[in-house]
Amino acid sequence: MNILVCMKQIPDPEIPARDFRLAEVGSMNRVADVFSENALETALQFGGTITVLAFGPPSAEDALRKALAMKANAAALVVDDGNADRDPLAIAQVLAAAARKLGPFDLILTGRESGDWGAGQTGGLLAEELGLPCVSFVDTIEAREGGVRLRRQTETGFEIVEASTPVVLTITNDEHNVPRIPKVRDVMAAHRQPLTTFTLAELGVDVTNRWYDVVELTIPTKETACEFLTVDELAQRLAEVARA
Amino acid sequence: MSETVIVLFRDEPGLAGAAQRVGGTVRAIRIGDYQPEECLNALVNACRGARVILLSNDAYSQELAPRLAHRLGGSCVGDGVDITPDLRVTRQVYGGKAQAVIALKRTPAVVWLRARSFPPAVIPSEARDLEVGAARHPSAQVPRDARDDGRVRIVERTAASQEARLEDARIIVSGGRGIGGPEGFKTELEPLAQLLGAQMAASRAACDAGWVPPTWQVGQTGKKVSPDLYLAVAITGASQHMAGISEAKQIAAINIDKDAPIFKHCRFGIVDDYRKVVPLLRQKLAELRK
Amino acid sequence: MSAEQATRPIYWNIAHVWAMYALLAPAVGIGGYGIWRHVQRWRRGTPLARFDRPADRLRLVVKHALAQKRTALWFHRFITWGFIILTIATILVGLDADFGTTILRGWFYLAFQSFTVDVFGALVIVGIATSALRRRPHSNADWSGILLAIFVITLSGFLIEGWRIAATNDPWGQWSPFGNLVARASRPLMSVAALQTAHRATWWTHLVLSLGFLAWLPYTKMMHALSAPLNIYTANLEPIGASLKPVDFESTAPLGVKAIEQFTWKDLLDLDACTECGRCTAVCPAHAVGKELSPRDIIVQLRDDVFPRPEPLWECTTCAACVEACPVFIEQMPKIVDMRRHLVMEEAEFPDSMQAAVLSMEKRGHPFAGTSATRLDWAQGLDVQHVSEARDAEVLLWVGCGGALIERNQRVIRAIAQLLKLAGVRFAIMGREEKCSGDPARRIGNEFLFETLAKENVANLTKYQVRKVVTPCPHCFNTFKNEYPRYGARFEVWHHSEFLAELVEQGKLPASTKESVTFHDACYLGRHNGVYDAPRRLLGAPIEMPRNRNNGFCCGGGGGMSFVEEPPDKRVNQERAREALATGAEVLAVGCPFCMTMMEDGINARGGGMRVMDVAEVMLDGLESHS
Repeated sequence: MNILVCMKQIPDPEIPARDFRLAEVGSMNRVADVFSENALETALQFGGTITVLAFGPPSAEDALRKALAMKANAAALVVDDGNADRDPLAIAQVLAAAARKLGPFDLILTGRESGDWGAGQTGGLLAEELGLPCVSFVDTIEAREGGVRLRRQTETGFEIVEASTPVVLTITNDEHNVPRIPKVRDVMAAHRQPLTTFTLAELGVDVTNRWYDVVELTIPTKETACEFLTVDELAQRLAEVARA
Repeated sequence: MSETVIVLFRDEPGLAGAAQRVGGTVRAIRIGDYQPEECLNALVNACRGARVILLSNDAYSQELAPRLAHRLGGSCVGDGVDITPDLRVTRQVYGGKAQAVIALKRTPAVVWLRARSFPPAVIPSEARDLEVGAARHPSAQVPRDARDDGRVRIVERTAASQEARLEDARIIVSGGRGIGGPEGFKTELEPLAQLLGAQMAASRAACDAGWVPPTWQVGQTGKKVSPDLYLAVAITGASQHMAGISEAKQIAAINIDKDAPIFKHCRFGIVDDYRKVVPLLRQKLAELRK
Repeated sequence: MSAEQATRPIYWNIAHVWAMYALLAPAVGIGGYGIWRHVQRWRRGTPLARFDRPADRLRLVVKHALAQKRTALWFHRFITWGFIILTIATILVGLDADFGTTILRGWFYLAFQSFTVDVFGALVIVGIATSALRRRPHSNADWSGILLAIFVITLSGFLIEGWRIAATNDPWGQWSPFGNLVARASRPLMSVAALQTAHRATWWTHLVLSLGFLAWLPYTKMMHALSAPLNIYTANLEPIGASLKPVDFESTAPLGVKAIEQFTWKDLLDLDACTECGRCTAVCPAHAVGKELSPRDIIVQLRDDVFPRPEPLWECTTCAACVEACPVFIEQMPKIVDMRRHLVMEEAEFPDSMQAAVLSMEKRGHPFAGTSATRLDWAQGLDVQHVSEARDAEVLLWVGCGGALIERNQRVIRAIAQLLKLAGVRFAIMGREEKCSGDPARRIGNEFLFETLAKENVANLTKYQVRKVVTPCPHCFNTFKNEYPRYGARFEVWHHSEFLAELVEQGKLPASTKESVTFHDACYLGRHNGVYDAPRRLLGAPIEMPRNRNNGFCCGGGGGMSFVEEPPDKRVNQERAREALATGAEVLAVGCPFCMTMMEDGINARGGGMRVMDVAEVMLDGLESHS
């Protein structure tokens, strides 16, 4: 099967709150978003010819090289030369345009949401742009006649979904899709593999934000002083809340 | 007069409250049996003309919302904790480290909100069931399109052991990596939760390790909960976890490490090994009950 | 006959001497073949340069192969020296017999060949007898056979000598005191004919046994008689902290070791030098707390062509107590790291907790996954300059990840900063530009990540023209001093205890006079780099724990182990805490951020009762209580 995995490179979510300054977001250390990596791992375990695609600044190449080291077969980068935060529709349209050039694909995977803005819309909008169905929160993929059999998580448990291909899937984390550590030899080889690049102009996509605008972005200050209690006192407090 | 539609998979008085805040005439649609493509098509039909469409933070709503907005030519934003009449939605970003206010540019504005983020209100009594079948009727105003129906089918649903949703829980007892294994959850925390009438949850570390079901996961990459009390046991309190509990009214913690970041977000807590504290706590709570 | 003419007839009473040569040939052949097989095995290994500095190497051989400083066992010295002296004596006889020399005459004959040789022969007997008495349960049958053979050969030598002295009424007999004893005991019991028969029979027996022993030697652990001195000659002359070999990533050679041939020839020689004495395992901290790791087992397995299982390899803290303890200078720890390198870099199979630390170093430049501390937290409220602004800084204070990102250690850095200010030392810091030195990556086995970090750090330090680095972390200290020069580092490296000791020497700071302090030697400062005195000078005269200095017992934090969750009943730090608490001191002084956290945990786990403080904190405490 031909599989496309959309990956995103984001500012490191583990940067401590004290070091996090909105003005520095552009220059912060960037890492591959974890759900993208879960998606890639799910694809690798399922098997097939896997292309990884990212839309981002030139540094996003690092995430793609790591994906190649994990044994993805091909990588493509749409270089975002602007600084604006793209809204989910713009991102989906760019990815769809690149997917049309790189495809056709049987499965298109994205993470369920990204670790920076966490909108959780890219998968669904990508499906709409490409005229495909979409199943979200998938953690396991199996092949079946004419399509795939999926397990996906809901807040009450999970569901088995049968889908015909092509289909877009958003992937969530599970104990089985923890991203593998690449072998050093593969890391070295990954740097020598070809990388397909596209510019926005080549794809002919207008990326002005038409979906929404971020009108305010702040860091809320909210710290409380913790009262340290004895076990008895804690029991009292908890009982009060339980009774209320 | 503009119309605000609330889409219900279950009773959500908070959504009705949010709809009141947004204004306009409020109409409710209930969805019973959910199949993604069918329900999407039917909703597109049923929501035409609405200015605002509100949904809750369950898996189905999250799955439908962006696609619904796209089909109707509107905009979507999710995980909102506040929405204003002029369609500005507040939500957390960067793993809970920052807060954004998003202005939607197109209508209908399709927004899914965190449970319990609005005071409850009465759901309109004329709430109608979504007519999925009608959408397939030749006379229905649904574009007959090769991309609809049949390509995705949910064939099996398995519920995890707990019935109620974490997003609706009033009290939550949650365990992290420091619990050390599934036994700690089973023998120490679950009995504690029972005594408090609380629901169980866990951090991503415990879920990834397979100690507890993934449905228990709370955090940026799990459920976002808004309980009155969140008791974090052996959870360090990294910002990704805090992102899931930012709307909790009170946070309390039991952790062996006095320097654990969770204590910066707590109202009260204990620095000690949970294996020592929790049994004593259960004992005390049982006594207080009498 | 005067003393100058003293001698004895060679081959007295022995006919058919040609038979001796006839037996010599196959003995040499078999023995030679045996040695050749060993040499061939060594040659299968990869190259390594270990023949430089011959004078230093010979000194090492004298100290450790002859004087045997690393073993306290006199019986073994006796056997060794006896073996050597008797071999020399036999060679001298051979020279006189076959090459027409006249060495064994006169005073030399009496003093050396008669007296000295007898004494050393007796020492061999004493040595074997002692070893037989102290036979320990873990020793094996091999050694019993070998020791028995040596005993019989030596004893028969005395019998031959004694019976010759008796039968020939040798006028110089008393010069061989022990042979003479045999003679005096035998004379009344045996006729001359009987003596001659007994002598002849024993002579041939002795010959066959000796030649047999030499032929057999390379096929048993007695090979160590040859391989051990050679191993000591080719030992690592650099500090233990410089033991790890770099990896050439340009070549297509496999990364790390998964097969015996991938070791160096020196590693393979190590395997043949092992006598299975077990001192390495006896001092191994992991083994001491009941873990599976046994350095001896690893060496013996490799020697027997069995590749060790991965699990024990992941228990090693790289403390190198094994290397320090080995009487024949085997390097156990570097082999463990070599095997880890294969598992990490070629197979990506290593413990999850270490994976998390490695990922964190790759992504964030520090191994503490999930920390919410920042590199500058410790400097809040302090007037500290970044190296780019500090025009006249004398030293760069390299804080390290352990110092900056673990809250307890932030207090240590603040104490050091205060002391430096008090002493008038102008220093600067790298702040957020610090990246992990790469030591945990290297010890876990990810040499690739280590090189990446090393090159970045060297580039940064060079960019700021840093000339002198002072660091409170022995791991950073070791890495910068011994490993970074390969990547172009050209700066002095000091551990903070060394630098503070220098300041004390210069009178700029007073040493602590605190009593009731004991000191825990950090492995990477002490054993790996020989720095034992500097921290002690800062503490006055600290109480010593039984295992101190180069015999120090690891805190359990090295080798990536501080990131691993150990089973609660098998924690190295708790064992060391027990030892510290037993001193009765109020304070346990340390000089390393990992030792700090490990020892605090260990002492807490044992119920507390001791404060753990860095040497800088102890010094500052002393200053503050006086002011």
